[in-house]
Amino acid sequence: MADPVETPLALDDIRVLELAGEPGWYCGKLLAELGADVIKIEPPGGDPGRRIGPFYHDEIDPEKSLYFFAQNTSKRSITLDIAAADGQALFRRLAASADVVIETFPPGFLQTLGLDYQALTQIRPGIILASITGFGQWGPHSHFKGPDIVAVAMSGIMYLAGFPDDPPNRPYGNQSHYCASIQAATGILTALLHRDLTGEGQQVGVSMQEALSMNQETAIQYWDIRHELRGRMGNERRMPAIGAYQTQDGYLMFFVGVPGFGAPWPVLFQWMAEEGMAEDLDSPEWRDIYGQMDLRLVAELYFGHDPELAAQWRPRMSHIDGVLDRFVRAHTTQPMYEEAQRRGLLVAPCNTPEDVVRNPQLNYRQWFTTVVHPELAATIAYPGPPYRLSDTPWRLRRRPPLIGEHNDEVYCRELGLSQQQLAALSAAGVI
Amino acid sequence: MTTPDLPLAGIRVADFTWFGAGPIYTEILANHGAQVIRIESQAHIDGLRVAHPMPEGRYTLNVSGYYNNFNASKLSFLLNMKHPKSLDVALRLIAISDIVAENYTPGTLEKWGLTYEAMLAVKPDVILVREPMQGAGGPHGDFGGFGLVIAPLTGLNHLSGFPHREPVGLGTQYTDYVMNPGHAAIATLAALRYRNRTGKGQLIEVAQVESSVSVVGTAILDYTANGRVGMRAGNRLRHAAPHGVFRCAGDDRWCAIAVFTHDEWRALGGAMGDPDWTREERFATLQGRKANEDELDRLIEGWTRERSAEEAMQTLQAAGVPAGVVQSAQDVLENDPHLKARGYYGYLDHPEAGLTAYDGPGFRLSKTPGRLLSPAPMLGEHTAFVCSEVLKMDDEETAQLVMENVLF
Repeated sequence: MADPVETPLALDDIRVLELAGEPGWYCGKLLAELGADVIKIEPPGGDPGRRIGPFYHDEIDPEKSLYFFAQNTSKRSITLDIAAADGQALFRRLAASADVVIETFPPGFLQTLGLDYQALTQIRPGIILASITGFGQWGPHSHFKGPDIVAVAMSGIMYLAGFPDDPPNRPYGNQSHYCASIQAATGILTALLHRDLTGEGQQVGVSMQEALSMNQETAIQYWDIRHELRGRMGNERRMPAIGAYQTQDGYLMFFVGVPGFGAPWPVLFQWMAEEGMAEDLDSPEWRDIYGQMDLRLVAELYFGHDPELAAQWRPRMSHIDGVLDRFVRAHTTQPMYEEAQRRGLLVAPCNTPEDVVRNPQLNYRQWFTTVVHPELAATIAYPGPPYRLSDTPWRLRRRPPLIGEHNDEVYCRELGLSQQQLAALSAAGVI
Repeated sequence: MTTPDLPLAGIRVADFTWFGAGPIYTEILANHGAQVIRIESQAHIDGLRVAHPMPEGRYTLNVSGYYNNFNASKLSFLLNMKHPKSLDVALRLIAISDIVAENYTPGTLEKWGLTYEAMLAVKPDVILVREPMQGAGGPHGDFGGFGLVIAPLTGLNHLSGFPHREPVGLGTQYTDYVMNPGHAAIATLAALRYRNRTGKGQLIEVAQVESSVSVVGTAILDYTANGRVGMRAGNRLRHAAPHGVFRCAGDDRWCAIAVFTHDEWRALGGAMGDPDWTREERFATLQGRKANEDELDRLIEGWTRERSAEEAMQTLQAAGVPAGVVQSAQDVLENDPHLKARGYYGYLDHPEAGLTAYDGPGFRLSKTPGRLLSPAPMLGEHTAFVCSEVLKMDDEETAQLVMENVLF
């Protein structure tokens, strides 16, 4: 492998101003690690998101938020009070050399500062302004507050997650921010391609609610086409070997028995028989029964309305499921996963974060990326590339920035402010 | 289909993907003007074409809502890659394409003779995008799977849901819809821009597990930096209270409520009519509310149960409290006035499936907005068009290839 420092970066001619809170962090990281110069503009004192844990060694400190670390590598940081007139003047100067601005303010806020899209095009024709909010820039809910849980609720994906007898589940880890940031980065790159050809910039509008919507899978289509409402399935296991099964030390997710998806049921059964754990399934009667478990039956049992068929199959399924349940419980997670996959069965471990970090495949591919934090006297393994480009590889270029770490570099060396001016702006609370 | 107004007009994609994460990625390109040619075959049907939902009693290869929703704006070209003569046709298409996309188990394209080197020979600046599950090479490189298998591998199942329940995940093949298609699109667009600047194509690999672990970064760092193995914690957050969903009037109706600041807490009390309990000392601070969260949630639910989820949301949002209905698909498609005003879902008239709803683009460009250009193609609908208009094949050769089951 070539030394990554020698390889070119895909976006090394692009400057991004990330005037954004949590929903826009990952968008900035995506662009930065493809080579863009991403300048994170934080309010004096630092992005409020830095106060969200967990923290490095549980020391509550805005310079030690692991939540912040995870999404802010490879950026530079400057501080700026955008609400102050002097701050706005400085922002205009920064915008003069920017290709992209990412912002997450309530709709209309930038206009009150005289920094809306029209104003920015006066400073920098061809600029691209990406706005990420809970519900987009316009429409009856555009001014609703939209933290993650509100966005995932309104998107329809929460209604599908969890058990029918529990409240709906919020997905882990602010998925609305990730989805919105991914959509925004896609939009920004599409807009950049258009700008390269025509010189024309534009706005990229992202609503977290819409950014998440695709994740409803087929729920919209079930309602639209069949007037059937998909809800929470929990771990219903209407078919044996489809669902989560407990092992000695964790859980395995099974998806076996649907034609076209990995090895069929008899392969799983054969494995159980080899280990002497097939119980009475090792009889012609039961072989005949599980031989009938095909796609049509699966669909019919999941979505059909034939109570007789369901009544006939429920006890059979429940018996087979019980035998499988006992089989899985006799095993440990990771070895059973590897053996199942070796046999072509679609099975995966419900990995803990520790399992993920120890995952043989990720480690073989050297996926985790170590980052030196001199201030913490520590080296921390970070998630690695979401994609691998052969000629312009993803590159984690620096540890997450300290608050205002690049004030001097950006304001003085690049923008031409004197040290005295910087000190005065600092004293006035603008920087 | 010519769409000169769209930003990816003039870009052609030879699309060998199937199922979820691949076609959803190429639809992003198609909706923004790229000509995306799905290579399909009667001998190798895309599993989504036979997946539910389909209209009752009309089960054909062209009516699946699952397939159709993710394949708008594309062409379908029949080419049986298992036939030896298909390689030549595939390479002729690649020679005039900008992007080649695939999401098979590593080695599948090579079995057909479709190696990266063969592509480079006919198209030196080709951008080849591969979306294998776990990445080529390595001990698990050839393991099988799709979204339902990928999400548990990433930790999302372990980390989502209530701690006393099994890690069943999000009820969908979550990583198939935005995570993997989105990351693939970002890498592709960056590579396209790099090619425009330098004339160089490249090979992109989006290993779906790698792309998906990226979005559980905090939990990974909590382990690598602190040694802590995170556990699913239901709907609560350490830095907000209340934070969860609350039962409302009706069957399975819920409203999400989240309070991050003191102002939002006061506003919540006001919106509920300032009941005495909201003034109790034990609820005055975040710390206090966290310490008494079960009781807090019970008291708030006493208020939400008395009204519809929509009324609770409207009342709370009007007071400045983050709140939102846990919407069902019916709510999202038919009742949400906001999505309706924004026209997020588009209705396209398909020759066999009729008028059905499609997801619109997940981002909106102000001057060159992407849009649903045509309903999903019927299997092989554009074979003749691709032969004559794209590959410039004469009718005789086309007929011959049809007879030999190459265009099949």
